Amino acid sequence: MHPLSEYCQLQTRRHLLQTAGLGIGSMAVQSLLAADSSTSAATSPTSAAPPLPFLAPRAKRVIYLHMAGSPSQLELFEHKPALRKLHLQDCPPSFLEGKRFAFIRGVPKILAGQFNFRQYGQSGQWISELLPHFAGVSDRACVIRTMQTDQFNHAPSQLFIHTGSPRLGNPSLGAWTAWGLGTANQNLPAFVVLLSGGKTPDAGKSLWGSGFLPSVHQGVNCRTDGDPVLYLGDPGGMDRSMRRRMLDAIAEMNAAELARSGDPETQTRIAQYELAFRMQAAVPEVMDLSREPKHILDMYGAQPGYVSPAESADDPRVLYRGDDPTFANNCLLARRLVESGVRFVQLYDWGWDHHGSSPGESIDETLPIKCQAADRAMAALIRDLEQRGLLDETLIVWGGEFGRTPMMQNNVRTELKKGFVGRDHHPHAFTMWLAGGGIRGGLAWGQTDEFGYYPIENPVSVRDLQATILHLLGLDPYRFSYLYQGLENRLIGPTDEGRILQQILA
Amino acid sequence: MTPRLSTLPLPLILVASLCCSRPGFGDDAVSPADALRVLSAKCFACHGPDESQRKGDLRLDREADARAVRTSGVAIVSGDPAASLIIQRIESTDPDIVMPPPDAPHGLSDAEKQLLRRWVQQGAVWSGHWSFQPLLRPQPAGNPGDGQAIDQFVQAHHAALGLKLSPPATPHKLVRRLFLDAIGLPPTPAEADAFAAAPDKAAAWEKLIDEVLARPEFGEHWARMWLDLARYADTKGYEKDLGRTVWPWRDWLVQALNNDTPLDQLTREMLAGDLLPNATPEQQLATAFHRQTMSNDEGGTDDEEFRIVAVKDRVDTTLQVWMGLTVGCAKCHSHKYDPISQHDYYSLFAIWNQTQDTDRYDDAPTLEVPGGLVEQQQLTAARETVQQLQAKLAAAEESESAADPRWIAPEVIDTAADDGAVLQARPDSSVLVTGKSPPENVYILRLQLPQGQWTAIRLQAFADAAVGGPGVGRNPADPNFVLSEIELALETSTTPQSLRLHQPRADFEQAGWPVTAALDGDLKTGWAVSPRQRENHAAIFSFTEPLQTAAPAVLRVTLRQHYGNSLTLRRFRLSLTSEPAAEITPQPASPEVRSLTEKLAEAVRQRDALQAKRPKVPVMVALSADRQRETRLHRRGNFLDPGETVTAGLPAAFVPSTNRPSSAAEINSSPPTRLDAANWLMAPDNPLTARVWANRIWARVFGLGIVETEEDFGLLGSPPSHPQLLDWLACEYRDRGWSLKQLLRQIFLSRVYQQDSATTPQLLEADPRTAWLSRSPRYRLSAEVLRDQTLAASGLLSRKKGGPPVMPPQPDGLWRSTYNGQKWVNAEGEDRFRRALYTYLKRTTPYPAFTTFDGGSGEVCQIRRIRTNTPLQALVSLNDPVNLEAAGALALRMQAAGTGGIEFGLRQTLIRPAAPAEQQPLISLQRDVATQLTSSPEQAAALLQAARIQPPPDVTDAEMAAWVVTASAILNLDEFLTRN
Repeated sequence: MHPLSEYCQLQTRRHLLQTAGLGIGSMAVQSLLAADSSTSAATSPTSAAPPLPFLAPRAKRVIYLHMAGSPSQLELFEHKPALRKLHLQDCPPSFLEGKRFAFIRGVPKILAGQFNFRQYGQSGQWISELLPHFAGVSDRACVIRTMQTDQFNHAPSQLFIHTGSPRLGNPSLGAWTAWGLGTANQNLPAFVVLLSGGKTPDAGKSLWGSGFLPSVHQGVNCRTDGDPVLYLGDPGGMDRSMRRRMLDAIAEMNAAELARSGDPETQTRIAQYELAFRMQAAVPEVMDLSREPKHILDMYGAQPGYVSPAESADDPRVLYRGDDPTFANNCLLARRLVESGVRFVQLYDWGWDHHGSSPGESIDETLPIKCQAADRAMAALIRDLEQRGLLDETLIVWGGEFGRTPMMQNNVRTELKKGFVGRDHHPHAFTMWLAGGGIRGGLAWGQTDEFGYYPIENPVSVRDLQATILHLLGLDPYRFSYLYQGLENRLIGPTDEGRILQQILA
Repeated sequence: MTPRLSTLPLPLILVASLCCSRPGFGDDAVSPADALRVLSAKCFACHGPDESQRKGDLRLDREADARAVRTSGVAIVSGDPAASLIIQRIESTDPDIVMPPPDAPHGLSDAEKQLLRRWVQQGAVWSGHWSFQPLLRPQPAGNPGDGQAIDQFVQAHHAALGLKLSPPATPHKLVRRLFLDAIGLPPTPAEADAFAAAPDKAAAWEKLIDEVLARPEFGEHWARMWLDLARYADTKGYEKDLGRTVWPWRDWLVQALNNDTPLDQLTREMLAGDLLPNATPEQQLATAFHRQTMSNDEGGTDDEEFRIVAVKDRVDTTLQVWMGLTVGCAKCHSHKYDPISQHDYYSLFAIWNQTQDTDRYDDAPTLEVPGGLVEQQQLTAARETVQQLQAKLAAAEESESAADPRWIAPEVIDTAADDGAVLQARPDSSVLVTGKSPPENVYILRLQLPQGQWTAIRLQAFADAAVGGPGVGRNPADPNFVLSEIELALETSTTPQSLRLHQPRADFEQAGWPVTAALDGDLKTGWAVSPRQRENHAAIFSFTEPLQTAAPAVLRVTLRQHYGNSLTLRRFRLSLTSEPAAEITPQPASPEVRSLTEKLAEAVRQRDALQAKRPKVPVMVALSADRQRETRLHRRGNFLDPGETVTAGLPAAFVPSTNRPSSAAEINSSPPTRLDAANWLMAPDNPLTARVWANRIWARVFGLGIVETEEDFGLLGSPPSHPQLLDWLACEYRDRGWSLKQLLRQIFLSRVYQQDSATTPQLLEADPRTAWLSRSPRYRLSAEVLRDQTLAASGLLSRKKGGPPVMPPQPDGLWRSTYNGQKWVNAEGEDRFRRALYTYLKRTTPYPAFTTFDGGSGEVCQIRRIRTNTPLQALVSLNDPVNLEAAGALALRMQAAGTGGIEFGLRQTLIRPAAPAEQQPLISLQRDVATQLTSSPEQAAALLQAARIQPPPDVTDAEMAAWVVTASAILNLDEFLTRN
């Protein structure tokens, strides 16, 4: 039996065949049809499923924390004393030749790391003073210091890391996962997205879109203000019993239509209205943080019902506060969601693009605020999953879409000024960390040069990361594909250059 | 039960072998197409068109290569499997020898191995890919009337499959189906009743088809298909996703579809309207089709990078939309299955690489197009007002000057100014400054001074709007001036004699900028006139010593203006007087001039505001011959890694000989343009375009294409279920002048179309997806039709056509794009209830109710939508405020219908009459909810508020709210949500 969800099974024969027809070509359709026509009741969908290359999964679910804008690895994970020695001196020309930067012009100056580092835990990972809580769980995490991308603008780079293509139109990692594995709780979506930081990440909704996969696999943005799922709430005056009464009448009418039309799609619609009714109860329940005991809330720094003014501000950056619990709330929600069977929870926290050009986007002032608001919660997420026995099978991924330059950004200011210290986009080396399901904790993977400019050992591409995540989920990254527009489309792209990072696996 | 194919007449063997529902292959003859399909799917990746991936230098996509004698033998020997290398290799059990290799993603099934063996055994008859073969018109038997050919081709398959057409649908069902398919809106119950009552159904049906196709809603409905293809959206996409004005193109499209503009003309205009001889504004506007590509306004992006992304998108979209070819992969390497090499791709790219757009923030080049009719009239009137006021003001100023004979304006001999500013003396002796407008300037004028005694000089600054005004200065944003210093000198035969001035006075001085400062020798100070910079002003400077000119002399006047920001004089006049200087003061402008100046300023403001509101639509404009870009192949698709130089050209495999430019000289002298490409796409002997388009129209009506993979007619696409039907439709479309309405008419007139949609378990088994058309397809309506139908059934639908997109209610807080201050403001009034076509589409945050029902985002070309059936859709239909409002409006009408309220509601939505027994669940629902709400008035009131209605007098809240709940239930019925 495929580990395919009941949710998937509720899709009709027609839909499955459409999926299959696209997924495996006409030859397979023939055999599917042959198999299907031997089953008697056309109105009960069979367990037919896309013939996916399942492997033994190391992780059953994913929580992906994306810090949109890209935090500086040089202030958080990359301890580079050499930068201190060259602080404010001209950048060596070898770093500039043939390079494209988003904003840096001419010859920029080297910028020393702005915060102190120390080694933590048994593994002795170097972690900055900005992440004291994460430092406490660093033995659980594998910190990859040599991530590389080939995009240096936010939207394309975010798309590349989440969909495998810097252009629009491809399914996101979460949608691929939802398509491949479904959900373990039919009353909840398989793929949930939570936002904080006051803005949508730069590439927008496409980051959790389904691309060419059926739209049912797109991420559902669960909101913490208003309806948690759009249109989930019944109108004022409609109580549960009245809704039940109304749905019964609809079902009775639809049953009559089913008798007239014989269309299995009608049967499915009846079932989907029932599922919607159950979702109306299940989603608010799982989204209700007030059900958590105080010690858990405190552990994350969460605050049920809190709506941050930054979330609706035109420029939220100037309203950021270190004690804003929005991101912490989302981390706790992520745990509640995966605990309830959601397959993939994607968090986006906007506001990590610290150029130092305008107020609210500096390395020296804004980054500590963002870290304060995130550090406790991300550490708590690891600890909380661990104490519930869920960490072993839950993969946590943390990172931005690229890194930041060892040079200070110079297009607005050439001198250091408090509140305006910044770094430009840096695609050649940046840091991400993974923890939980199948990951070797306490590992610092890869090494960069003394400036943190290039990897000198074990570079990791976005493709490698994607291949590794799919592998951990039991999906063979090289064979997990969807035939669309004449191509066997894969998350890892058309070439096999992406490698599974066996060395970071537990 | 599948009949043995060998017993069938020959044409049906071909038909059946192209079908996809046949399990296994038995001992039957193998069709060349089936063999090709296996070879292409399993072998071409390494032995196909892509030279870079080719293994063992073996090609199996071309017959000659496959039969060539090689050192190791011959790949395919007709009639001799044992001698054929490919059969030896695929049947080998040695992992080092077997093909495909054990680690290949797709192995061959035993059935496929047997199929290839039998194919070789039977002579290895070669087949080209079906869709690349010339399009020949299949001849139906006899002389069928309109629509009957379709029936013949469909029924030919039925015979083989043991199926037959279902009986006709009921008249009401049929009329609803026709309206939804043709115009995306339901009929009124009366329209359906009229057809049901018609004695001659056939005549009435034909008449109804023609009438429906002539409705203006037709274009609105079919435009939606085009918008998906054109990746239409009201924003630019990517990070900031700022707004873009493209709706005039949508309105043009709706009109063109209503006019039934032939597809070949539409194609030429959309792809190359700007290149047509004497292109009209409409033809230029049509090219906005390919300016729908996204622009990236994110800070720090490389415009050239995203320009190239847009050009590639145009190539991909063009081939996809017109020829069903997926060429995206050929950006990086030659196509693995279809005959499109990487070189072919960049030859096409070179055709599209010659337009002026460069991913600019302002979307240039744009075409300014008229807004709506009212706006056009307003603008014309405003322009006339400005002209009239300008004339009046000029006359008033003239009479004012003439009225004061004390001042004489000497003739201007010559002038000089810094940095490209041009001083031009006018007949009234005023001087107009044009040309460049540097931040600071020094004007020097030489005046021919008549003989006499002069006591003072006057400087007049004019604010008139005649040229560039209103305002006395040259900076349109701040039309002030600062006269830092005025200097006078009398030219003599030797050194100029400088003249001293004193007693400056002006009609108005800006605080801190008095006229005395123009004589203080300090260039940092000066005379300025804000905030009255949009009025005329004057200053008088007396000569310290009266100036005697015994004979005509030359007076040199220097006006130094060093404030910066182009605060320099725009039109001014210098005049002198002989009157006793102390008695003369600058007169404020006459009340008439002042009043006219003010009126003119206001008129100009209004005209400019209207002008600014004129939509500017991004369009294609060709680069001039001397600015053509060189195109180079991008290695691995990377534009930073240019390869060989490529000239513009059309893919070699698809240029029929008859369709090449008329002479070789022509091809040598000029590479093909976008217009040539459009002509090539629409050439009668292009085998793909007509098939792709006929299939697309068929799929929009029947919910499933004859070729299911509408987006891929290449080797990996699905084969046509009804090849002859497809080719016949394609010929009909092409040969009847590419008329969409004619093609639809044929379809609607067929018995296939008019069948009932009911099915049985037996039918479901034999024809599960309605691919064989043994009944009429039944499928959930599209997102847009659902909205329109709901609004129409409730009576809320606005019929207003065209214009800027509107914002019907959506949940708060969805628009949170970075660095983008634009807001979604829920419309009130009519714009709440416009057709879905007019809803604002923001690429990064599309209207959520539409995406839930599989609507796209407009980010990339969407050839078809994959239909889903999800619980989130139920939530939208139940709880979207738009649907609740519609339920409210319907409820009011149901309540007004009295005891027949339920029947009324069902008639409005399902169109057909509903038997009393059928209504019972809803009657009970209404009664039960009313009872419950009677004891809970707050709930009733809240429901009415959600539905935005108030009960009529003498109806209780509870009863009315129960009608709302019941109406909402009706709007959620499966039959209502479905085309059946």
